[in-house]
Amino acid sequence: MRRRGIVILLFIVLAGDLLPSAGPASAAASPAPAQRILLLFDSLAKNSGQQGNVAELQRLLAAYSAQVTLKPISSYEPGGMKGYSGVITVINNDELEITNQAYLQEAAGYKGAMLHVGYRPPARMQQTLRLKTGVWHRAGASLSIGGFTGIPVEVEGMPYITASDAGRSYGTWSSSDAGAQVPFAVSSGRSAYLPYLKQGDFTAIAAAYVLKDWLHYTAQPQMYLVIKEIYPFSDLNLLEQMADRLYRSGIPFIASVRPVFANTDFPAMKRYLEALRAVQSRNGSIVVNAPAVRPPINSNDRSLRGKMNQFINVLAEGGVAPLGVAAESYWTYDKEYSAAGMGFFNSALLFPDGETHYMEQTDTSAAFSSSLYSLPPALLQGVGRTGKAMPELPLNTAVTLDLPEDERGLEELLQNLNAEWYTFADYKQEAHTVRTDKHTLESADGVIRLDGNTLDVDYTPQKVAVDFQYKEKQATSFNRLFSVQNQFFIIVILAALLLFGGLLTIGYRMYRRKYLNK
Amino acid sequence: MINNLELTSTRPGITLAGFRITPAFAAAFCVLLVTAISLFTSPYIGMADNGDFYRIIYSNGLYFNAPDYDSQYFGYFVKQFGIFQYFNENSTMVVSSQSLFIKLAIFVNKLFFSREVFDIRFQAAIYTLLYVAAVYLLVEAITLKMSPKRGMAVAALAVFIFGDTGYTNYFSSFFGESLVMVTMILVFASWLLLYRKRYNDYAMLAILLISTLILTTSKQQNAPVGMVISLLSIPLVLIRRDKLFRWVTLLSAGLMMFAGIATYLNISKEFVNINQYHAMTRGVLMESKNPETALGSFGINEQYAILKENTYYDQYGTVDVKSELLDKNFYSRYGFVSILTYYASHPNELGSILDTAAESAYKIKPAAMGNYEQSAGKEFRAQSHFFSLYSTLKEKLAPRPFAFILLWMAVTIGVYMPSFVRSIRTRDFRGMQRLLVILATMLVGLSGIVVSIIGAGDADIAKHEFLFTLAFDLIIFQTAASVIGRGISSRRSVPSAPSARPLKEYPALNKGVGM
Repeated sequence: MRRRGIVILLFIVLAGDLLPSAGPASAAASPAPAQRILLLFDSLAKNSGQQGNVAELQRLLAAYSAQVTLKPISSYEPGGMKGYSGVITVINNDELEITNQAYLQEAAGYKGAMLHVGYRPPARMQQTLRLKTGVWHRAGASLSIGGFTGIPVEVEGMPYITASDAGRSYGTWSSSDAGAQVPFAVSSGRSAYLPYLKQGDFTAIAAAYVLKDWLHYTAQPQMYLVIKEIYPFSDLNLLEQMADRLYRSGIPFIASVRPVFANTDFPAMKRYLEALRAVQSRNGSIVVNAPAVRPPINSNDRSLRGKMNQFINVLAEGGVAPLGVAAESYWTYDKEYSAAGMGFFNSALLFPDGETHYMEQTDTSAAFSSSLYSLPPALLQGVGRTGKAMPELPLNTAVTLDLPEDERGLEELLQNLNAEWYTFADYKQEAHTVRTDKHTLESADGVIRLDGNTLDVDYTPQKVAVDFQYKEKQATSFNRLFSVQNQFFIIVILAALLLFGGLLTIGYRMYRRKYLNK
Repeated sequence: MINNLELTSTRPGITLAGFRITPAFAAAFCVLLVTAISLFTSPYIGMADNGDFYRIIYSNGLYFNAPDYDSQYFGYFVKQFGIFQYFNENSTMVVSSQSLFIKLAIFVNKLFFSREVFDIRFQAAIYTLLYVAAVYLLVEAITLKMSPKRGMAVAALAVFIFGDTGYTNYFSSFFGESLVMVTMILVFASWLLLYRKRYNDYAMLAILLISTLILTTSKQQNAPVGMVISLLSIPLVLIRRDKLFRWVTLLSAGLMMFAGIATYLNISKEFVNINQYHAMTRGVLMESKNPETALGSFGINEQYAILKENTYYDQYGTVDVKSELLDKNFYSRYGFVSILTYYASHPNELGSILDTAAESAYKIKPAAMGNYEQSAGKEFRAQSHFFSLYSTLKEKLAPRPFAFILLWMAVTIGVYMPSFVRSIRTRDFRGMQRLLVILATMLVGLSGIVVSIIGAGDADIAKHEFLFTLAFDLIIFQTAASVIGRGISSRRSVPSAPSARPLKEYPALNKGVGM
């Protein structure tokens, strides 16, 4: 295990020397203030192969710290492109013509950065990029981009670039069925064309290469390991064991922990904090996972800010330093969730959306200076690559896994991580700031500060007292008097019973004597 | 067959413009009037949805058609819903007799109003008519043979209690309480009418049976209702000597028991998620001195103690209440029976939660739900106070400890016990029925409390205890009517119906089964 760690380290050093753009990641190298991007779409392509590609773009853009405004083309209004540093148009429908004249006119004359995704690139872009496009109706294709080669992708109804004379092309689609090798995307100057993007397959990662250039993102991307589904009632021993095993394998990781909003003085919470402190001491960074949200019954519940504030304070006071927040992507498109739930943090980790329950939906996202794109390890598992180690991805990514349920699951997790030759970064090396009403937590260069003082992350197990008073003892008066009174009555009742019994016996004897002697 | 129809000459009544008005008619008419003003004149009163409506209406062919329906939860009453125009793919989520009445209301709505839009007032009208009939039978049973003046006083009391809009507002909602209300009063009234030997015994038995079946199957928590009424109605076999009646009565009791058991079996399947969550977090964990030990006795990870006092409806929580994690490690570890066993072995905790339950046992109308439509311009969750003096007084004045409920039960049974004993001695089987109906009503009410705390802890308790509050009112009304009927100082007794036995066997007939 140690040998493998050394090999990884050597590779990092070598890669650092060989890759031209590589440089030390630090707070200073963090991206410039958020770019404002207008994301327009003709349809969300529900029940089709492209469903979810708009959401995927939103998540990719968030990982580049861009602030996105999402709008359907049909509701575009004149002057709508003003104030944005770039416009992305997604056309998922190859038949329906766009009829919004305001959009058509302003898009034709737009001078800013423009990215077109999907069918029918606009005439001006076709001219600029000297584009010719076609559609693969059904083909088995493989994609090569960056250090990844020959990744098979099943495509259906896929627009592609048949010819282009653009300044730069990204990746290559190869299809034995269609007998062609064509670029994945092309760009020239401020225009870029990305014909095909699908949620959940490798095209999303490939799109990140295009977006990185299009957004002029210069910071050094990192890959992190994230373990989620950590609850106070998870197997905390297993959590500590996992942290220890990862530590011994030289793998730093992020633990996304579920918040607790009540009963934080219970022994159960103390044990949770103990486990998190142990995780922290084993090179684990802590982020607060967003709470489970019920469908809002009405918008009157404004308790989120107070609850999150209290939980972060409980963690901080318990010696645990959360450095960011993890949530489903839609949280950044909700005024309440983004402000009251995520507003304490400048770093976020965004998961794909599951079931969405907006409280106050907005079309403009909240941007974070550090934002990670979560992806399942299955997406990278076994993919073709030029070298043995996992190639560097073009954006900050979080390889996300659930906390294993048992030791067998833990073994599998460790084996899979080792098999893929990942290079995971330490989250606390980056600059993160968390502010509550009481505390300020900061991290940079591997050091965590709580209210300005360095936090000692060494862990010494502490015993959690089990004699906790769950119910407050009710104030009682005259306790002594009542106890005397009780004893008095017990004696009186016993005496009365004896007397009564005695009388009964005497009466019975008298009765027998009177009648039996007759 | 013995003709058991009694002449109505003993009915109290006053004549107005040549029309004889009985207390029953007066009470029913006034309740109808108050309810009609409340539910059918502007501003229309009803009850806001607390999130439960979808479970019953979607499977019955209705849907929420108001675009802003979500924002009206708890706050505003919505009176119109959409009727599905295509195949309804929603499977039945709740098996309830309430579906019959919703379907009937949709049928009437389609006949007179619209095929696309359902107006809940059609359902309210059906319930109101049934309710008025139930109040008529109740007052008829209680005021029979009273003087007109006293009869009218009892009628006024009936209007005061049962005309209260706290009760009748339920008709303009999809809560099962509306059906519980109608059927429970019908059960009480028909049984009392059997005791009074008013109307045909078979007809009354039929009302008793049908009402019990509907009541038992209207809500999952009503499973014990069928069992209690079934057992206590067995002595009805003795009120007539003809074999047909005895067999019919036994068969009815059997059917009631079957309905109770069937509903119970249905509970064990559907006793999941919301109520199961609350039964632990707002019940066992809340009352336990050491929640971790309590969890241990169910074989659940002690760390779940952190969920103490959480509710299923919490907007933000540590864990998704519908998650696989809870399914696997929490919900699957306990059920109705294991919680019942837990309370049986921890009497202190049972006593403590019973006291909590008793706190809300006198609320007729839950405070959480608004009564007005959004268009009425009232504030969110605004409640109507029209004709609700009784429910307000009851909530404010009733003593809170559970011991009071036990004391009230003991006193009431004590009051009616002498006449019951006398009836046994004189083999007056009809005379016995009054205490039995009171006892059955008490046990039904008590089951409402016990089932709700075992089934859902203290969550939503005011609504869950509706059965108790109604049972309490029925018995209080019966007791108060007995006092009014006798006069405070009078020793005159109100007789039960004459026995079916030959008179000469019972010289003491009619000697009093009054208070």
